[in-house]
Amino acid sequence: MKYATIIFALLLAAPLVAKEELVTLPSRDSVQLTIYNSEDLTLVREVRTLSFRQGNNRLQFSWANTLIDPTSVEFMPVGAEAAKELELLDTSFPAQGHEMLIWTVACTKAAAYKVEISYFTSGISWSAEYHGVVAPDERSMELTAFVTVHNNSGEDYEDAQVRLVVGTINLVEKIIDLATPPQPGGGGARRPGPPLPPSAARRAAGPQDDADAEENEDGMRRPKEIEKVGLSEYYIYTVEGRETVPNRWSKRLKSFTVAGVPLKTVYRYEPAKFGWEFTKVLEFKNDEDHKLGKEPLPNGIVRLYKDAGGGRLSWMGALASKYIPKKDEVKVNVGADPECTMKLKRTRTQKKDLTFNQRWLQGWTQVDTYELELRNFRDREVEVEVHQAFGGDFDFSGEGWERHDAQTHKWKLTLKAAETRKASYSVTTRMGTNARK
Amino acid sequence: MKTKLLLTLAATAAFTSFIGVATEQPAHARIKLATLPDKEAVVVRFDHPNVVIVEEERTLTLQKGVNNVDFSWAGTNIDKGSIIFRPVDEKSTTVVLSTSYPPGEAALTWQINATEARSEKFRLSYLMANIQRETDYRAVVSADEKTCTFRHYFKIRNWSGGQFDEADFITRDGKTFEKGLANGEAKRVLVNRWDNVKLVKEYNYDPQRQSEGKILTDYVLKNAKDHGLGAIPLEYGKVRIYQQDSAGTTAFTGEDWGRFTPIGDDMRLNIGIAQDIKVEFKKMVNDIENRRGNVYDTNEVDEYEIKNFKDGEAEVIFTLRVDGEWEMQNSSSGYTSFERIDNETIKFKVKVPGKGEPVKLKFHYKRLNNW
Repeated sequence: MKYATIIFALLLAAPLVAKEELVTLPSRDSVQLTIYNSEDLTLVREVRTLSFRQGNNRLQFSWANTLIDPTSVEFMPVGAEAAKELELLDTSFPAQGHEMLIWTVACTKAAAYKVEISYFTSGISWSAEYHGVVAPDERSMELTAFVTVHNNSGEDYEDAQVRLVVGTINLVEKIIDLATPPQPGGGGARRPGPPLPPSAARRAAGPQDDADAEENEDGMRRPKEIEKVGLSEYYIYTVEGRETVPNRWSKRLKSFTVAGVPLKTVYRYEPAKFGWEFTKVLEFKNDEDHKLGKEPLPNGIVRLYKDAGGGRLSWMGALASKYIPKKDEVKVNVGADPECTMKLKRTRTQKKDLTFNQRWLQGWTQVDTYELELRNFRDREVEVEVHQAFGGDFDFSGEGWERHDAQTHKWKLTLKAAETRKASYSVTTRMGTNARK
Repeated sequence: MKTKLLLTLAATAAFTSFIGVATEQPAHARIKLATLPDKEAVVVRFDHPNVVIVEEERTLTLQKGVNNVDFSWAGTNIDKGSIIFRPVDEKSTTVVLSTSYPPGEAALTWQINATEARSEKFRLSYLMANIQRETDYRAVVSADEKTCTFRHYFKIRNWSGGQFDEADFITRDGKTFEKGLANGEAKRVLVNRWDNVKLVKEYNYDPQRQSEGKILTDYVLKNAKDHGLGAIPLEYGKVRIYQQDSAGTTAFTGEDWGRFTPIGDDMRLNIGIAQDIKVEFKKMVNDIENRRGNVYDTNEVDEYEIKNFKDGEAEVIFTLRVDGEWEMQNSSSGYTSFERIDNETIKFKVKVPGKGEPVKLKFHYKRLNNW
């Protein structure tokens, strides 16, 4: 069922002034959606069977109330016979409408032929989501990945093969701008979508008529497999079977579930990565050792729950995850934990080596001493990593600390249950003319 | 096409339930309600400081094959993305195949495959907004101000739009209480009570906490087993403090916000001003010395005269701050002990005898290398 229609009409080959005659309204034989997540872009390929007369045939293709890019619409005969008998002579874009074109196709032998129409459309997108259920000891989790297709294109796509592209492609013009230029030609604003049908009708028109599962040998259904294949710098996820996604609906399908993904909990103070908060970070890798690594993990929302026992869940937190390549590590910041705390204080500051130029101070060296206190109020051992960064011409001195980069030193340790540890360090900074670099 | 639309509209008009099951049918009869399952075993968890998760169980009557289950939550504020729906039996062969979201509705449809026709219990988990929670405490302090009974209350207020006829509410520390809670209703429940909790009373002079230089009266409780607490981390919340009086009743002596206090940490509660202890501050010396060009040191003496008009001796803790580089001088006097907390902060303990006899705290320091 469609609310915005793509009208496909075969017109009689006739003098230009002749009245157009509607011959057929062929439905799609098949449709494939290739949906990109980095841009508002979907490549639609649809195959239709059309009856052609010998001679020149004029085909009208119109797409009112959709978000199709007119510059991308292409016509292609399917199969050797069609390729031999059909030839696209020209494409006309009538002055009276932006949402229509007319192809003139020469046919050497009257018959029905399959043709492929492909075009870019805006308004269809997909996103990834993850649910992680963390074990009570926080040493493992069950990770479930979903993909959700959102259709706001103005067009229903029934029984479509759905392919999802993971990766960042380059577009020089937005499809939505190409799809909605002001009349005639040029860029324009997004039009409102087609009017929604009554709610109940939409629910009735919902996704229930398509099969979100494949049948086993015993005739029972299982969740669809989503096959992942690398292509150049991208990954293509192909959803098994066919999907129907009506206009304005979204549909979520499971991509995979992996139980027992090993997990490490580290409390981190790393302002460059996690902000100015001592925070709890759950860590794993997208590799085989962690029962993952078969494909990159697209960016998406990660929702973490904790196993509260008896199959029940409690909430840990949610965050937006970036694209995670294969083998890369994943650090999920679940926020501050009041049961593991860090306090930093400057215990002393001193200035020395003051130098003057005609009685005006021009250089000095400042020595600041700090004390870091870490307290683990939990009843289990925890790992901690603290980063401290400084600027200027400085020397760092502190037992147990290691250099991370030119500006940063870090302290890694394990805190036992209910343990408090302190670490001191001092920073000597040469200021003004005392600075050597 | 129109015929189909009319048929399904008619079916949907009868669809008033929160959750409904339809077996997958060819063509027109998509919505065919099989059951109207009630909520069972509802659990509302407050173990995250900001977020409430609700779990409910429902028994669905499923047909063999693919079933469509509609779930709608109009009028309540459920985080759509947080919804998890799964069989309670972890070994169940029933699987959720997909989730579809209709436009403009607080609703979704699950496609579920059942290997046989049966009734099966499912658990539905979701985050729900507008269920507020508050923790508060009531401390009744003994006459000698050395112990107290400490009661821990949990208050919930339901503005979610939903109704909980019978639910288990679970606090952060795992305490469960079973209550019904209507929309707009609030309930306060005693969840913990600890007796003989040790407390320490302190008199504090701290210009950062009390800018007029008055003495603050604090109780300090340690959240530890040997102090009568230590069973759970104490949530942030208001503490109302009462004291047993000579008439055998209690009097309200003050209240303060208790910060989140993990096990092993202290909770400091200010109950008010100690009016019988007065402090007068004077700057006795404020000299510039050791000039080098535009750089100089200062020599400063701060004097605090303390009078305690109570009958007995009191110890007052002075928390004083000096910015920059500075050193305390040996001629400082009048304290029993001191501790430099950090570069800027120093704490003195001063014994002050009763009956108004004055005591002086002399804080002599030099600030170095100013410009």
